[in-house]
Amino acid sequence: MNTPLARALSVLALAAGAFAAAQAATIPPGTQLAARQEMVRNNGAEPESLDPAYIETVNAGEIDRDLFEGLTSTDHHDNVVPGVAESWKQTDATTWVFKLRKTALWSNGQHVTADDFVYAWRRFLDPKTAAKIASTYGVYLLNGMDVVNGRKPPTELGVRAIDPQTLEVKTAGPVPYLMRVVSVAQYAPQPKAVIDKFGRDWTKPGNMVSNGAYVLKDWQVNSKVVIEKNPQYWDAANVQLTRVTYLCVEDSNADLKLYQSGENDFMSQIAPGVYNALKAQYPTEMHNGPMLGIRFYALNNEDPLLKDIRVRKALSMVIDRDILASKVTADGQPPLYGLAVKGLASIGQSRYDWADWPMDKRVAEARKLLADAGVKPGTHVKFTYNNSDYHKKMAIFAASEWKTKLGLETDMDSLEFKVLVRKRHDGDFQIARHGWIATFNDATLFLTLVQCGSESNDNRNCNKKADELIAQGNLQTDPAKREALLTQAAKLVMDDYPMIPLLQYTVPRLIKPWIGGYDEANGTDRYRSKDFYILKH
Amino acid sequence: MWAYVVRRLLVTIPTVLAVVTICYLLLHFTPGGPFDTERKVSDAVLANLQAKYHLDQPLWKQYLLYLGSLLHGDLGASFRYADWSVNDLVARALPVSLAIGGTAMAIAAILGVALGIVAALRQNSVADYAVMLLANVGSVLPSFVLGPVLVLVFAIALPWLPSGGWDDFAPRYMILPIALLTLINVATIGRIMRGSLIEVLSSNFIRTARAKGLPMRVVVMRHALRPALLPVVSVIGPLAISSITSAIVTESWFSIPGLGKLIVNGASDRDYTLVLGLVVLVTVMAVLLNLVVDLMYAWLDPKIRY
Repeated sequence: MNTPLARALSVLALAAGAFAAAQAATIPPGTQLAARQEMVRNNGAEPESLDPAYIETVNAGEIDRDLFEGLTSTDHHDNVVPGVAESWKQTDATTWVFKLRKTALWSNGQHVTADDFVYAWRRFLDPKTAAKIASTYGVYLLNGMDVVNGRKPPTELGVRAIDPQTLEVKTAGPVPYLMRVVSVAQYAPQPKAVIDKFGRDWTKPGNMVSNGAYVLKDWQVNSKVVIEKNPQYWDAANVQLTRVTYLCVEDSNADLKLYQSGENDFMSQIAPGVYNALKAQYPTEMHNGPMLGIRFYALNNEDPLLKDIRVRKALSMVIDRDILASKVTADGQPPLYGLAVKGLASIGQSRYDWADWPMDKRVAEARKLLADAGVKPGTHVKFTYNNSDYHKKMAIFAASEWKTKLGLETDMDSLEFKVLVRKRHDGDFQIARHGWIATFNDATLFLTLVQCGSESNDNRNCNKKADELIAQGNLQTDPAKREALLTQAAKLVMDDYPMIPLLQYTVPRLIKPWIGGYDEANGTDRYRSKDFYILKH
Repeated sequence: MWAYVVRRLLVTIPTVLAVVTICYLLLHFTPGGPFDTERKVSDAVLANLQAKYHLDQPLWKQYLLYLGSLLHGDLGASFRYADWSVNDLVARALPVSLAIGGTAMAIAAILGVALGIVAALRQNSVADYAVMLLANVGSVLPSFVLGPVLVLVFAIALPWLPSGGWDDFAPRYMILPIALLTLINVATIGRIMRGSLIEVLSSNFIRTARAKGLPMRVVVMRHALRPALLPVVSVIGPLAISSITSAIVTESWFSIPGLGKLIVNGASDRDYTLVLGLVVLVTVMAVLLNLVVDLMYAWLDPKIRY
């Protein structure tokens, strides 16, 4: 083992030790808690599944993080905290050994063992399971993609139980942020005996056995999922809420109405266009924290018109993000002039130098770029978006910017969401609405949007030098060096103008004043119910 | 008559088959598929998913496989709701929709007929105008306007009832959605009943009955009501079916886990099996309701014989 690696490993080991002490829910001293610790939180949509192997959305993940606990977890400040693993160490660049706590139990009282993780991970990535996001997470584990692709059997996956309390994980390459990866619900343990017994019905109330802070009490499809405190949970003493009802209300107006009539304590998200009015009405209940998400327009870099970098740059330069943010969307989303959003780990934010120019100068430069590229005023561009009022408003604004400042005509193509994403993935577009939200906090998830050949790269751009920098960055064990390389890579690739970054997502929502434990600075917008508590009111 | 019923039921089979076939083809030729998401599903995973749902087979084979399961009463696995079969989903949502829609329909029918009678008998009186005003308001205001007004008044301004949600058929969650659907339907039924009764009351046989000195109550109840109900009955069938479609708005607004929500989500998620399952269900319900309407015709009008 080389010296810098050894140093880094000792830092990590220390960090793991420090985490162990910081696990309890942080309730400020002197806080008076309500006698009844029950909460209703709207989760936005019906979960597609409660089986950790099949979940793909944030909504389902949020419930499953309450029901199941992985090796690690993330708290309401988005800090990594120990879960079933009480400690871990990295033994070489790609090998990690996790020590599981003996007090970790399933809700039926049986011990959670390393074999439960081995079984769960193999099942998740097994082609027979056909998990939709198998490749998203399989990529991190040794032989993960070979298993997903059916080239190797699941038994070849880089995970093994050394003994019931010790799990060894081998990664495909260095994954310095592995602690965040294994905190997602998809990497939680699964109870093999229960799954074998009930098959698909193992996730139903009465059948499900889970190891998280909560157990499943009731599940009414398209209505609600009710969970209750799990007395077998190893940290049950620090779990305040005894019962949580997850609503599945998609309609933001219905969500608001439930909030106003006192049947919902925690909104999923307010409807577009009402942020300022609701903020004035509920100044102390409105929260609007930045999210690790980017709103952008994908540019098809293989399109005959857009393959010219000058055209792509001109289109990006003339969109006034300040007006977009303050007048069009008007819901507190910060303007964006680079790939990385505020709060994203392992990368610095970059900003185009022209972002600070006066608009006249930007327009003059953009017109010159178009003239140099031989694009005449009156040229048509096609903009594709999915039919929601929010996206439509943004699209009309962008089209008007291109028309008034560059003389370009925009043909608007409003599609259903499924049709839009299919067209985007197939490269059947010129300019298309896009949005991206990180499932855990690391720059890698954003960089996949612009990496050569990435499945997430609908722009179809490729900058080999940037890719090399990313690869080099991911080999670093020193976080500072990694961050410097990834920042450099992002700047380099964004100077090719593969896409038009517009805004950073925020989550405007109303929360009742008696809900404690919400930290709106948590950019992942993931909140375990065990971190909430009800104040006396 | 029983032969007629059996014949009508047998006709259901080719009707359902035709509807399923058309819907099957439409769904499969609609752009965008069940596995299209913001984050592209990798080719290997897509292949696994297609194999799991038999989408890797030729379309005709998929179709035959589907028909085979349908014959066994199996509506297949849902694409969107991974932990549930379509049978499970329908079995849970149908009672909810029936409870809301059926109750609303029954109240609307009784209330609508009663109001129609009052309006017809007191033609051009204050009672008539009041009923007609209610009927016109109910017809003009769409459910997405009437719904929020009800919630604003009875859930937020006067916090008597929950503004939405569902709790295992608890009546307090059902009152507002039932009231909304009732208001919409009572307007139509009341209007038709009024017009129909006025027309019947001016018929020769009614004039004869009155000339014989029968009291008005007897004339209406014994002679006028049955023929006047014919147009009402003919509209109740389509109204009941359209209650399912109007439930799309109502259920979404009140967050009720019924069929309407499944239809919306199924279509936008390209949940082929779920949409087909619901189409089969609605088709069968439509055929049966029409049959019931036709049988009621025969009961109401002695001239009609099957």
